[in-house]
Amino acid sequence: MTLPERVGVGATAEPLQDTALIAAWRRGDEQAAAELVGRHARALARFLAASGAPESDLDDLVQDTFIRAFRSVDRFRGQCQFRTWLLTIGGNVLKDFGRRASRRKVMPLDEGVRDNRGDPHDNAVANEAEARLATGLQGLPRMQREVFLLRAQQGHEYEEIAAALGTTPGAARVHYHHAVRRLKAWIQ
Amino acid sequence: MDSMNDETRLNDIAKRLGARAADRLDVQATAQKVVERLRAGEQPARRPSWVQPAWLRIAAALVLLVGGVFLVQRVSTNEQDLGHQGVAAHMVADDLAGLTTAQLQEVLRGFDELMDSTVSPEDSTETDYDALDAQQLRTVLRSLEG
Repeated sequence: MTLPERVGVGATAEPLQDTALIAAWRRGDEQAAAELVGRHARALARFLAASGAPESDLDDLVQDTFIRAFRSVDRFRGQCQFRTWLLTIGGNVLKDFGRRASRRKVMPLDEGVRDNRGDPHDNAVANEAEARLATGLQGLPRMQREVFLLRAQQGHEYEEIAAALGTTPGAARVHYHHAVRRLKAWIQ
Repeated sequence: MDSMNDETRLNDIAKRLGARAADRLDVQATAQKVVERLRAGEQPARRPSWVQPAWLRIAAALVLLVGGVFLVQRVSTNEQDLGHQGVAAHMVADDLAGLTTAQLQEVLRGFDELMDSTVSPEDSTETDYDALDAQQLRTVLRSLEG
């Protein structure tokens, strides 16, 4: 059974929850997998790019993350949102990528990673701040970096972050504050 | 700029970080590639299952368990051997105390015959036990016990 047959093709069809799409993928529905990629690929790409992924490898890293997630979807038990779980897998994929490309000690932030829309002068100032933040993020321990990005960039609550990273909300809060303190010092 | 404003600014920058690269991602094409890779049965690059950390831990635990059992068996076997030797020595000493001179001489001759069958002829020596008294015979027997 394919996804359109299940949800019914029509303007009134309600979008399926991620959990329903995951269940459909577990039954072998490729369309459900494609739908999940469509929903979460950009958020994942932003997270990976901010974590240091070069733009030239971003598409491959996004694909690898989804492949790994779909292959190990049985380990996802709804302890957090699918997207949060996916981002933590993305962190693992990026870590493996970093090992393979260990020649690059610090992966430089590509020009394309920065947002260049708007006034050129403002952009120049913003780009500088983004470049500094990106470099500062590379200097953080992985846990602090991921907690900071899940909180500041993706807007997740501490409970959600803790469930995804296998820690406590209190510990996630501490990691976030350590990250903010170090990043502030770095940016200033 | 106060601390809260600093944090807000930091979060604003973080939200923009990677946005342009993400916007350039062709999501439909990425989804298509993912589906094709899944269809092809491609496994993600990962360690073989037998070197996963969980398997390594189980293997290490098994090695420790088997090694521990082996060690305990060896130690208990040695203790049993030592125990048997101790019991044998005690029994010989008890026996010696109750034997007469003639009996002690008989035991020593039997011992010599036993030794002669395992030792090469050139090593064997004739021993005259008749010249020894009971105390000397006991001393010889005890010395043979080692």
